Amino acid sequence: MSEHEKPSGEPVPVGRRGGKIDGLPKITGAARFTDDLTLPGMLHGAFLRSPHAHARILSIDVSAAAALPGVYAVLTGADLPTPYGVIPVAQDEHALAVGKVLFIGDEVAAVAAVDQETARRAAALIRVEYEPLEGVFTIEDALNPDKPLLHDERRRKGDTNVLRRVFQKYGDPEAGFAEADVILESSYDYPGSTHVPLETQVALAQPHPDGKLTLWSSTQIPHYLHRIVAKVLGMREQDVRVIKPDVGAGYGGKSDPFANELCAAALARKTGRPVKFILDREEVFYAHRGRHPTRMTLKMGVTKDGRITAADFKAWAAGGAYASYGVVTAYYFGVFLPLPYKLDHWQFESHRCYTNHPPCGPKRGHGAIQPRFALELHLDKLAHAIGMSPEALRLKNTVEPDTETSNGLRITSVALKECVDKVVAASGYLEKRGKLGPNRGIGLATSAYMCGALHPIVQSEMPQSAVQICADRSGRVSILSGTADIGQGSNHMLAAIVAGRLGIPETDCVVLESDTGLTPVDLGSYSSRVTFFAGNAAKMAAEQLYAVIRAAAAEKLGGDDVVMAGGKVFRASAPEKALEFADAVQLAEERHGTLGFVGHYKPPKIGSRFRRQSVGPSPAYSFTAQVAEVVVDPETGFVTVERIWAAHDCGKALNPTIVEGQIEGCVYMGVGEALGEEQSYTKTGLHRAPSILEYKIPTVFETPEITTIIVESNDKEGPYGAKEAGEGPQLSTVPAIANAIFDACGVWMNEAPFTPDRVLKAIERRDREARRAAAEEGA
Amino acid sequence: MLPLPTFSVLSPRSVADAVGMLTDHPEARLIAGGTDLLPSMKYGLFSPPALIRLGGVAALQDITTTEEGGLRIGSGATLRAVGRDPRVQRLYPALAAATRTVATSTIQAMGTLGGNLMLDTRCAWYNQSSFWRGALGGCLKCHSGPEGAICHVAPKGKGCYAAHSADTAPGLLLYGAEVELVSSRGARQVAVSALYGEDGRDWIRRAPDELLTAVILPPPPPGAVVHRKLRARASIDYPLLLTAAAFDPEGGPRVVVSAVGPRPILLSGLAEAFRDGGVEAVAEAGYKQVSPLSTHV
Repeated sequence: MSEHEKPSGEPVPVGRRGGKIDGLPKITGAARFTDDLTLPGMLHGAFLRSPHAHARILSIDVSAAAALPGVYAVLTGADLPTPYGVIPVAQDEHALAVGKVLFIGDEVAAVAAVDQETARRAAALIRVEYEPLEGVFTIEDALNPDKPLLHDERRRKGDTNVLRRVFQKYGDPEAGFAEADVILESSYDYPGSTHVPLETQVALAQPHPDGKLTLWSSTQIPHYLHRIVAKVLGMREQDVRVIKPDVGAGYGGKSDPFANELCAAALARKTGRPVKFILDREEVFYAHRGRHPTRMTLKMGVTKDGRITAADFKAWAAGGAYASYGVVTAYYFGVFLPLPYKLDHWQFESHRCYTNHPPCGPKRGHGAIQPRFALELHLDKLAHAIGMSPEALRLKNTVEPDTETSNGLRITSVALKECVDKVVAASGYLEKRGKLGPNRGIGLATSAYMCGALHPIVQSEMPQSAVQICADRSGRVSILSGTADIGQGSNHMLAAIVAGRLGIPETDCVVLESDTGLTPVDLGSYSSRVTFFAGNAAKMAAEQLYAVIRAAAAEKLGGDDVVMAGGKVFRASAPEKALEFADAVQLAEERHGTLGFVGHYKPPKIGSRFRRQSVGPSPAYSFTAQVAEVVVDPETGFVTVERIWAAHDCGKALNPTIVEGQIEGCVYMGVGEALGEEQSYTKTGLHRAPSILEYKIPTVFETPEITTIIVESNDKEGPYGAKEAGEGPQLSTVPAIANAIFDACGVWMNEAPFTPDRVLKAIERRDREARRAAAEEGA
Repeated sequence: MLPLPTFSVLSPRSVADAVGMLTDHPEARLIAGGTDLLPSMKYGLFSPPALIRLGGVAALQDITTTEEGGLRIGSGATLRAVGRDPRVQRLYPALAAATRTVATSTIQAMGTLGGNLMLDTRCAWYNQSSFWRGALGGCLKCHSGPEGAICHVAPKGKGCYAAHSADTAPGLLLYGAEVELVSSRGARQVAVSALYGEDGRDWIRRAPDELLTAVILPPPPPGAVVHRKLRARASIDYPLLLTAAAFDPEGGPRVVVSAVGPRPILLSGLAEAFRDGGVEAVAEAGYKQVSPLSTHV
């Protein structure tokens, strides 16, 4: 057990290793996911989806579907005309298509029937007349003012399918480039990829006789879902209750409201019966909201001694049919470009475009993965050009603690140097680089990520996280929170903070989460915010409970050097005369009345020189360094990632076992994006691989041996020092692998994923260039 | 999870029963392990009104030694049973190795050798849901494909290029294996080399009323036979390329490649190539004889 020193000097025992408090039910099958829930009289939903990438809906005839025995209701876009979107400035979605369909798989109609088979059969009986429209499938299409607009209600002359263009400039890039000794410019392409959570999207809606509605859903954002369901259904928010049962992962893929949730709710209201609406695996690929496929150009300059002097970055993302979080993505591309490095003179221009594909959105490392890939490869190229070790170049430019970046980010705790030192030492990077022989190589990358967005999605001065705790006479502590545990361990995190403060085992806490009818608001599981935000709220509540119990115990024990640890309450000077925790709770309850406290968290107002910088700032940042060792088969182009060493500055590991699990999960996902995952479409916009057989997530055989190293910088504002660990560690993985491929065989993989055909082509190009160079030398 | 279409199940207890049912129910399909059939039915590739379940025909699972010193492997023997059989491991190691590369160990435990040899040709444009194929507009291989459908692998061609993907076929071909096909008209034996057709739609030379009952292997040839499978990932995936190679010091190399077209291909002229230029020349000669088209995503 490691202990975190509080400013007062009293240790708080957080940092216990071990399994999650809610792990055993998931391992044994006792956990209840949304699809495990069944209600009397329950109906099942199914969608009719668009077979066209872009078409006008001329007519819809649902009569045959409605007449099929077993069918209770059919909905079309006309029944749910209210537009919505998770981001207030981009309300461009409908539960069912209104007027137009915008991608193959777009929802057109929804059916509720006695069982799923009947619902599907009925959906297939709906007749839709379409007028096909020209599709917008590429960046070039999206930028072309002659192409049709997806969301054409806004058309003005010269309009294109760019949802958002962002341009920001800091310092004097021109002067910065003038200072450089070496300037390199390259293009990079990063593919779209999707989340592949084990559990698909599932919703179950129950109407109540008084007109109210309960919705169970596999969501990461119960609070936003609550608001949007009420809005789209025209209900009062008080009358809607959203409950998130156990969720089989999200990775960002369940951070939007989805058509199955809204249609389950609407169909339940229409039929007066509960309606379950589950997406099959293929439909999850259409629901998507994954990584934006992004084309980038990066120009950077360095001095001979390795100081980065300037950068110019451009990015174009083909974002699919709807905005989702795309406005945020466009900002993140730039905001997270320099971090974790100091960069005074730079600019970026990003474009988030609409295309006739399933909509992109947030995926683990949202908006930061793509620029990180470009910049980390670019740094290795620059290091190569000036003859400096890549690790030395990075360390020379690393941001310092307690500083402000050129784009106005407040940096607090930073332990990146320690992360780099540790992975370099553990991997033998310095000894191995350039020396592993042909076709084996080692590569390094570093990164930084946010610990929650400073500004909420919906502008408000209210707390962004809240926790309510009660201690009962048995010594059990209940924790109520609107946080959404989607498998990442946020329930355990809350228990670790409360139990740590009170000196009891985590298993003596009961966490009740994600029920908008019971739990205080939390904005949800996105932007790596939960540990920092909800953790601080839990800490605030726990400190109050702690103070009351401690005061009561001090009175009883006759001294105020009271310590709570190991399930006991005792004076440090007389540990033999200890009270059981439950007895201390009873004393406190006698003295204070019922023991219930609330805590909340609202990030500090961090002034910035840049008013426009409302998207991107965070109260703290996590830092990562990774080294990858790979083998390239020059005959087939296959890349094998043999080992990854990952050091992550998570501030303070509230439970190292869970932090390590998150780091491993990040590395695993990064390996998938590096080696084969790609949302790829035919020229008519049809998803090429909407199945987990053909969409190539790594199997256990492609997963490298992963060495995780936790580095603790003890952030001053994090709950007992903690920062995030769920997303940041993925940022370094892909560029570390790319840099290792260069070390192995001398090719820069500017385009991911590093599939055998791409690697083979790069090797052939390398050989051609070598032959040409040799011939020129000979001549 | 995708629902299966509705169907009835017939459960024969003997080969004669099974063959009789196949004659009586021409629309029925045979199911052994079901590891390929059921996913295909969930995708709506076909919806037979009845499945004839071969699991109850115990005789189909036998593996016996033949008088000639070879093996007779019942078509219902699971891939796991075949791969673990000591006689298979000793006499036909390339077959044992091939069974262990099929999909995953759970599928090897369900799937059968007969089922693997009867595996339908595969293509990324065909092995998709009915919604997907509808949005595509069908292809040559779709039974219910619309008029004017094309092969998306080779839009200007006339044939279907769906890829033969049975992992065990190339090795069996090199071992000189034959299959026994039984119908109410009698039994016949067909060499594995003659079992497959040249078009992805017409990929199997088995009459609709015939049941594949056994694989008959002659005594193994002199020299070594090896099996290799190239696939995107080291588990679950169908092959990108299958090769089986035999080397006999007397007769030289023989190589079968598969998964690059609708049938396995026995490469020709390798003995000469080997004599003139060794292994590299064999590889060059083989490379010239295959022209794979991408049937993968």
